[in-house]
Amino acid sequence: MISCYVTGASPRSSELIKKTRAYERGRISKKELEESFEKATETVIKAQVSAGLSYITDGMLKWQDLLRPFTENLKGITVGSLRRWFNNNTFYRKPIITDYVKREKDVVINVTHLAKLPKNLPWKAILPAPYTFVSLSENQYYRDKAEFMFKFAEVMNKEIKGLAEAGFSYIQLSDPALVYEQSKPKSIKDKLALVNDALEIAVKGTTIKTCLQTFFGDFSKILPEALDFPVDHLGIDLYETDFEKLKEYDFEKGVALGLVDSRSSLIEEPDELVAVAKEIIESISQSNTNEVFICPNCDLDFLPWEKAEEKMKAVSSVTERLREEFS
Amino acid sequence: MNKMFPTQEVGSLAKPRWRVKSYRGKPLSRGDINEAVHWGRKLGIENLEELVKLLNKGDSASRKRALLEWSAKYAIRFFETADLDIFFDGEQWRSEMYEHVIRKTTGFRFLGNVKSFDYRYFNKAACIDRPKYAKPFYLNEFLFTKENTKKEIKVPFTGAYTLVDWTFNEYYEKKFSGKIRDFKWRKFEAKRDFLFDLIKEVIRPEISKLIDAGAKWIQVDEPAATTNPTDEEMKLFVESFNETVKGFSCAFSLHNCYSNYEVLARHACELRDCSQLSLEFANRDSRQPGTGNVRTGYKAIKLFENHSFQGNYGLGVVDVHTNSVEPPELVRDRILHVAKTIGNPSRIYVSPDCGLRTRTWEISFRKLRNMVLGAELARKALE
Repeated sequence: MISCYVTGASPRSSELIKKTRAYERGRISKKELEESFEKATETVIKAQVSAGLSYITDGMLKWQDLLRPFTENLKGITVGSLRRWFNNNTFYRKPIITDYVKREKDVVINVTHLAKLPKNLPWKAILPAPYTFVSLSENQYYRDKAEFMFKFAEVMNKEIKGLAEAGFSYIQLSDPALVYEQSKPKSIKDKLALVNDALEIAVKGTTIKTCLQTFFGDFSKILPEALDFPVDHLGIDLYETDFEKLKEYDFEKGVALGLVDSRSSLIEEPDELVAVAKEIIESISQSNTNEVFICPNCDLDFLPWEKAEEKMKAVSSVTERLREEFS
Repeated sequence: MNKMFPTQEVGSLAKPRWRVKSYRGKPLSRGDINEAVHWGRKLGIENLEELVKLLNKGDSASRKRALLEWSAKYAIRFFETADLDIFFDGEQWRSEMYEHVIRKTTGFRFLGNVKSFDYRYFNKAACIDRPKYAKPFYLNEFLFTKENTKKEIKVPFTGAYTLVDWTFNEYYEKKFSGKIRDFKWRKFEAKRDFLFDLIKEVIRPEISKLIDAGAKWIQVDEPAATTNPTDEEMKLFVESFNETVKGFSCAFSLHNCYSNYEVLARHACELRDCSQLSLEFANRDSRQPGTGNVRTGYKAIKLFENHSFQGNYGLGVVDVHTNSVEPPELVRDRILHVAKTIGNPSRIYVSPDCGLRTRTWEISFRKLRNMVLGAELARKALE
């Protein structure tokens, strides 16, 4: 079974960018900005539907960074200064943990345009994974990072349950920090054991499909431990991962193959991507029954909107071709 | 420089409103004109009525050139009046550090705005063909500056690594597609080819022209230097700097800010012919007076010393991101603290953290004035 979706925020169109700039300069009202976001959200959703993606997101246009809805809306966290977003020329605001973290209201649902999502297609929501959130925060309150990570995983658990109830059928936890960081083999093992425990807490009592999406780093670094993580699917950035190393393992889980490069404006040739995907799928899943997703390697918002739209089409055409290959 | 603790600026200065608006052909308010006159008088600019006449005139190409010259003259006089030893023209001829170079070079196409953070974006280009030198991008600005000051000039020059890191690499990635199977390695090799072609075809020809025209000191600006802190990327960055400056008879320095100095320090001594590292410290520092432990922001200097960097420091003693003006005594203490840490005052050039383009002229002037006074106090303290 081969499906496809996006794996992060969409870029804002030039029209919407103009509006956000005008808003910042006090030239338009909050209401007018809100309307522009709604209109742009419709466009992003329409683009996903018409590209033939299997799961639809709301585009996350309002998200200033992957962490921000949580940084701004959880009690006990304040918004810190700008920090570089991994090895990109983009920046996020560092969450500063100053007090006991408390979730008093829905976070993701409140920044999602639920009413705009299509009724006839399944919905996907994207959240920061506990490890990434903790690793990018400054902890001034909890005894150690692990304690905070478990606390944040509890928050995630409530979010996931709330999203499932609101009608979502797929949850992606974005975990770039897990594969980006350079750590020694011994400390990786300890780290992955903690990550496993945090993920257990995050998905406890839920039945919704979950994926741990990694990017900006080599997925093979977290093998074989990641194969036992309590999630349904594992997401891999193929522009950072040595895919020969993947072939040494038998994946019993589904995989989300980040085959289309969100950090390059060059639109990929489907032929090559199909060949690479086929090889990976055949080698990591001997039975050929795993669920496979074709996706961009990370958020498409590194690109201008027009290119992002083309990339979505590339995702879908590779998916089509693979379906034919495996039918 | 014979003087102890020479003072310098890093590059950009805000563009006056009369310059921005009239360059775009937009009408000026009375306030904009008054501002031009106010600063003109303050800086002792001659023939002010000519500028006012120009500002009231209709749009034309020759008017645009004249506007660039006027605002450069203002910026030069601004630095002279603040009494800095080394400067340029506040980069008044440049739209900004990236777009200015890319627009004047062939092989690129701007794709539109991409996210930087929050509601901030930047216009990002793609390399779609082998880069080729089309026309000078800094030369005329340098010639004008040289004509208009007798002080020492340092030309800010956007580095190749940063230009490449901020650009989509379509041409070279396409060239390698099918040739290298591993995607990561392919992108790295494509980046390498792009980088060294850009240096050969565009960067070095411009440096060569600048030197022929009399440039003695070029500051290579590389804000992206530590964006990719892996060893292989840092090696690529070092290689790109060394290739850029190779064989030229001119002084070169490197400016980098708001970066990972642990990573940069490990590689700084591999930079060949880098006479000065211009770095940001003030924004990390406390504002209490004194030397020693209170100078929390200057710990990073030890990283560079421990890795045996032997060149000079362009020591950031003025924070460019706040309006609060550092008192001369604080500037003095920052200088004296580092002089003691490195044990050699002659390696210190006194500097703001970065370009001052985000501050008003009023604030920038007061900051630079106090910086100059602080350097003077530090000099006296050591005499």
